[in-house]
Amino acid sequence: MAVANIFSGQMAALLRKEFLEAWRDRRALWMAICFSLLFPVLLAGSTIFFVKKHTEETTRLALLGGDSVPVLEQQLRGASLEVDVVAQGEPRALLADGYDLVLQVGEDFVEGYRNFRAPKLYLYVDSSSTSSGRAERHLQERLGSLQQLIVSQRLTARGVAPQLLAPWQLQVRDISTPSSRGALILAMVPGLLILTLFVASLATSVDTSAGERERLSLETLLLQPLPGWQLIVAKTLAVASMGWLGALLAIAALVTLMPLMPLAELGIQQATTVSGVITMGLLLLPLALLVAVVQILLALRSQSFKDAQTQLSILQLAPVTLLMVLDMSRVELGEPFWQLVPLVGQQQWLKGLLVGDTVSLPLVVAGSLVCLMLVGVSVAVGARALRRESLLGAV
Amino acid sequence: MISVESVDKQFAGRQVLNACSFTVPDGKITALLGANGAGKTTCLRIMTGLLRADAGRVLLGGVDVARQPMVARRQLGVVGDREGLYERLTVAEYLSLFARIQGLAGVDLKRALQAVREELELDDLWLRRTRGFSQGERMKVSLARALVHRPQHLILDEPTRGLDVLAARLLRRTLLRLRAQGTTILFSSHVMSEVSELSDRVLVMAGGRIVGGGSPDELIQKSGCDNLEDSFVALAYGAATDRRTQEEPA
Repeated sequence: MAVANIFSGQMAALLRKEFLEAWRDRRALWMAICFSLLFPVLLAGSTIFFVKKHTEETTRLALLGGDSVPVLEQQLRGASLEVDVVAQGEPRALLADGYDLVLQVGEDFVEGYRNFRAPKLYLYVDSSSTSSGRAERHLQERLGSLQQLIVSQRLTARGVAPQLLAPWQLQVRDISTPSSRGALILAMVPGLLILTLFVASLATSVDTSAGERERLSLETLLLQPLPGWQLIVAKTLAVASMGWLGALLAIAALVTLMPLMPLAELGIQQATTVSGVITMGLLLLPLALLVAVVQILLALRSQSFKDAQTQLSILQLAPVTLLMVLDMSRVELGEPFWQLVPLVGQQQWLKGLLVGDTVSLPLVVAGSLVCLMLVGVSVAVGARALRRESLLGAV
Repeated sequence: MISVESVDKQFAGRQVLNACSFTVPDGKITALLGANGAGKTTCLRIMTGLLRADAGRVLLGGVDVARQPMVARRQLGVVGDREGLYERLTVAEYLSLFARIQGLAGVDLKRALQAVREELELDDLWLRRTRGFSQGERMKVSLARALVHRPQHLILDEPTRGLDVLAARLLRRTLLRLRAQGTTILFSSHVMSEVSELSDRVLVMAGGRIVGGGSPDELIQKSGCDNLEDSFVALAYGAATDRRTQEEPA
């Protein structure tokens, strides 16, 4: 009983110390908060910008010599295509004047058109302008459908069935669901949430391991009657709390910003529920512990505080790169085996939960247990590392 | 009593301790002297269990430090050559942490904290975080941490380095009071006046082994010198000179 009391008292004291140290480190806290809020804000901002650009932006067209073709002008004009008839002018100057495109009607256009001689239209674009491609596609679509209409009318007038020139009709049917469209748009979110775990816990993990060693306060702890595993566990929990806070903050920010995002315009229906958000937080917890203990191990084996920072900065890119490579490869990540692999499992579950799909509870439990098992092994490795004489700079 | 028995230690093929043996008697203050690189800090680190000896053993109150480190650490207080404070904790939080790690709780914990607070005059620092503390303040807190669980054995590595007069005086007063209470104290130092004033016994280390030992007066007598500093130089550097002569025959 006395031993148990000492154990619990020791562990409680250690945990209190590690948490106070971690949460009073303003630099680490701000780093965690800023990164956690940064990516949801960027994601929401870029989605809003993307949709706004594609739905609200109009193309400005100067129809040079358009006074001779009023019907063409009338047919081209539409809600998103603003047509100005210009009697004369230099195409380059008109483009510089704010027009996206200049369509010049040739002098013999009217006569050629009447005589069925396919007269020329000249389209001037400035391909160095960011809006030129979109504007050109826009006009080509309009002209294409107008051309189709005129061909049909001419053939019909001559008693020829227009179907003769169109052996088939292609009709596109989009079979995607709001959920699968959401998966495409939100595909990067799980990777970013996992990256948040790494970034948010980085400063704390370096400080509590390489930092403590450099300040010689680790030596003071090693002189106490404490088993090494207790030290590693206490440090892991404190570091993981910071990473987990970052991930929770990012999820909360993302869910809060979702109503502001024009998901409906993209044909996506917001499917994240409160229980989904809670589940996302819970299933990131084992991964937060694993990330924390791996960061601590790496920092402990580094040569100095700066070396630890460099190593962990490189490490934080590894998960996102790995997940991107796996995503781009033809590996079927939905298979049960992959869901037992830390990082991949969490990525798949988060993907599902973000678009309102269900995730398999037995696989989540099994994957989380694998993660916790690796945490246990890492703690044992860390406890051994604390006994290394080189850790104290003795060798 | 602390007993160091034939301890050897090498770092990267370089022999740092060479069959080093000595004892530190109970209730006495023993000074460990030696030139830089003589092996003092390595020896102290092996005694505290931070490093492992290649051969030999260290007994702390009859407990083998390498075999039963947890038991040994419960009866040991250590003040290292740097303080190792936590800058984001207050003095009260810092001392409470180490007292609780040593198994103190409830009334015993409060009593232990109050005792070091009074003995080391920590009232003004008690609720302050240790960031920005002076060297003297840091040493006081570090000493309080080593003493909070009332260890039977106290080891200090150059404790007065960088201290001002008042802080050094407080440290000396504390060590003398602890000796009176029966604590076994071993400290390393380069300050001969401090060694003369405090020590019951002096050990001189050179080339990784003890080359002389006894009370300050006995050492002066044995070496035939006029004072402790000359005796130390004769023993420590004389031994080194002898060894160099043996290693590099003319």
